[in-house]
Amino acid sequence: MVKNKKVLLIIILVLAVAPLFTKAKAVHNAIILLLIFATLGEAWNLITGFAGQTSFGHAAFFGIGAYTSAVIFYRYGITPWLGMILGGFIASAVAAVMSYPCFRLKGHYFAIATLAVAEIIKQVFVSWNYVEGATGISIPIIPRSSYFLTRLFYLQFNDKLPWVYICLVLFTAAIFLCSFLENSKMGYYLKAIRESHEVAEAIGINPANYKLYAMIISAFISALCGSIYAQYILYIDPFMMFSLDISMKIVLLTVLGGIGNIYGPIIGAAIFIPLSEFTRIKLGGSGTGIDLMIYGLLIVLITCFHPKGVIGIVGRIAEKFGRKPTGGEGSIETVS
Amino acid sequence: MKSKLVFLLVGIMLATAFFSGCTPAEQPADIEEPDTEEGVEKVESIETVKIGAILPLTGSAAATGVKLQAAMEVAQEIINGEHPEIAVPLAKEAGLPNLGNAKLEIVFADHQGNPEMAKSEAERLIDEGVAGLVGCYHSSATKPASQAAEQYGVPFVAGSSSSAALTERGLNYFVRVAPNDDIETAMFFDYLIYLNENYDADIKTVAVAYVDNEFGVHAKDMVEKWVEEKYGGLGFELVGTVGYAADVTNVDTEVQQISSLKADAVFHASYIADITMFVNKYKEFGIAPKAVLNYCGGFQDTQFVVNLGNDGDYFAGGAAFSAEKLADMPELAAINEMYKAKTNADLDGPALEEFSSVLVLAEAINIAKSLDGDAIMDVIKSTTFDAPYYAAGAIRFDDSGQNEILASYMVQTQDGKYQAVYPVDTATAEPAVPIPAWDGR
Repeated sequence: MVKNKKVLLIIILVLAVAPLFTKAKAVHNAIILLLIFATLGEAWNLITGFAGQTSFGHAAFFGIGAYTSAVIFYRYGITPWLGMILGGFIASAVAAVMSYPCFRLKGHYFAIATLAVAEIIKQVFVSWNYVEGATGISIPIIPRSSYFLTRLFYLQFNDKLPWVYICLVLFTAAIFLCSFLENSKMGYYLKAIRESHEVAEAIGINPANYKLYAMIISAFISALCGSIYAQYILYIDPFMMFSLDISMKIVLLTVLGGIGNIYGPIIGAAIFIPLSEFTRIKLGGSGTGIDLMIYGLLIVLITCFHPKGVIGIVGRIAEKFGRKPTGGEGSIETVS
Repeated sequence: MKSKLVFLLVGIMLATAFFSGCTPAEQPADIEEPDTEEGVEKVESIETVKIGAILPLTGSAAATGVKLQAAMEVAQEIINGEHPEIAVPLAKEAGLPNLGNAKLEIVFADHQGNPEMAKSEAERLIDEGVAGLVGCYHSSATKPASQAAEQYGVPFVAGSSSSAALTERGLNYFVRVAPNDDIETAMFFDYLIYLNENYDADIKTVAVAYVDNEFGVHAKDMVEKWVEEKYGGLGFELVGTVGYAADVTNVDTEVQQISSLKADAVFHASYIADITMFVNKYKEFGIAPKAVLNYCGGFQDTQFVVNLGNDGDYFAGGAAFSAEKLADMPELAAINEMYKAKTNADLDGPALEEFSSVLVLAEAINIAKSLDGDAIMDVIKSTTFDAPYYAAGAIRFDDSGQNEILASYMVQTQDGKYQAVYPVDTATAEPAVPIPAWDGR
């Protein structure tokens, strides 16, 4: 059951058609990053927005996905498609292992634990020679004259449009899955857990199990994004893939858009990514850092005046028109 | 209503992105698209040739990035102006003579020290029609940016990125001017042999202090490699390595570790902030190895002597520039004056290497008489470029893309100045060895 299917389809249609009107690589690049981070936001929303468990360590799953596909292609020439699936399963397994002790923690402590786990995984990759340690992996480039099917097989293209559509497929799958979960029995259980652990337990829900399921699904989606990102960038190293920046970007754009709402991440990414990309493009070469100042200022303004995210603004406008108010339902309050 | 508003909002943002991106930044109106005939582009009508420069103009290395930008702008001024008094390629006439004196325009982009942004910016610049790319200072940023250049067949001339891994990838459109950490390591050991033979330095044991990233780890790997393959047999021993995080804020522990190794010489792969902290701690704990040698990084930044004053004396490292050689190198002196007018500081090694990357790319475009990537790369790979601003006087790339004519020499800080100390024919001063004890200065 997916509510507002029409709106989702229109958003996807817009994202599918818009890139066809330009050949500018910068626009295609922004749309690709927008889709990757919106998908990551959807994944993060599952565990934080719906289940109320604030994770600051999603870069770990993202990085594991990236490394799995990159390493099996770099070492053995195996298609990244397989690496993508494998990376998803490995990330899910890691999520399950880390969640077991971490879910005993609540509030601040869970958030700190996820942050620490991501840092530990980063350090493992920094000193792991098999994955080239701190030097990182330059993904081998296939010949420029390769046929499209070969390029598709190895996920390397001469053009950015195929990337747009690959990311769009992933985003579509993720948003429909999240929408389905939101309105499923599991979604209601997660929201019940978010609102009150004790009450959820009292009515027969097993919080540990459902949080674990959410974390595993979230990690799987994040790893798929990591695999695509690695093939897209063609170079990965632990500092880049497991960075706190990545984790915070996911958090920031989802909070900016509206936490606990499936539209939140896409709205946040649609603001955050183009703003970041185009302020840098237009102003970054000046070396004054003015792009970062403008970017930071806008985020501060939105956060100060609309702490429920942009979806909250939509809700307020809807309310004025006599409709039911909406907004991000979740919260990143870490005090339980 | 809610649904419509959500859709409207997303649509507005996408439209903003779309229209912003559809207007390429600084697309010059005076460029006519080159016609292509049998793979050779006719370029008679081109008035401006654009090349892209990707640098860390913001972020933790912003101070360095801005200096490198100034060095590139000096190269642009020399090429576009008439400077018959400076005997470097393309200085005599304005513009690129073989392309109807077309002006060179450098389009700068900021990668903020972020590899993903370096790649995005490389692709954007390629989309804008640049004939080649230069940059990115950070090896970790140069890697993905040059991967993008390779994908689109656009030449990439790296100036100061020093990781040997860059030229080990078998790329066809990538070359690098600076000596890599492999070459630098061999030079360090040769320098130690020179000190042992001529100054009775008796240096046998070596330790490495390295920043735990691409730059530092690779440098450490090169020391291990050279000790195993060659210099171990000549009596040198690697007694330990000390890694530290790139965002380190206190190096007490690392300095204690180095002290416990009791190495005669310490090789540092560090950035300016780290090496400054290390020197302060060496002084605080009274640690003075016989020699401290630095890979291309923080030590070569003239801010090193500004930050540390006399405490920065006696440290050494590989560098392509020493202000003490200006009297013997009039071309370098002229370039340095132009640079100094922009920055109020002398050139340093990385700045000179980035300067030369622009000159090499521009000269290759001029010789190729074409903006075609393959034609430019053919010239780059087959030409010995005149570089009188380097002690070696020339730049020539081997099959891997590495400049095979060593562009740097050993310098040592003495009285706040970078003195060339090795090889002997480039020396401006005698090396001071061993480093005097802190309380004896």
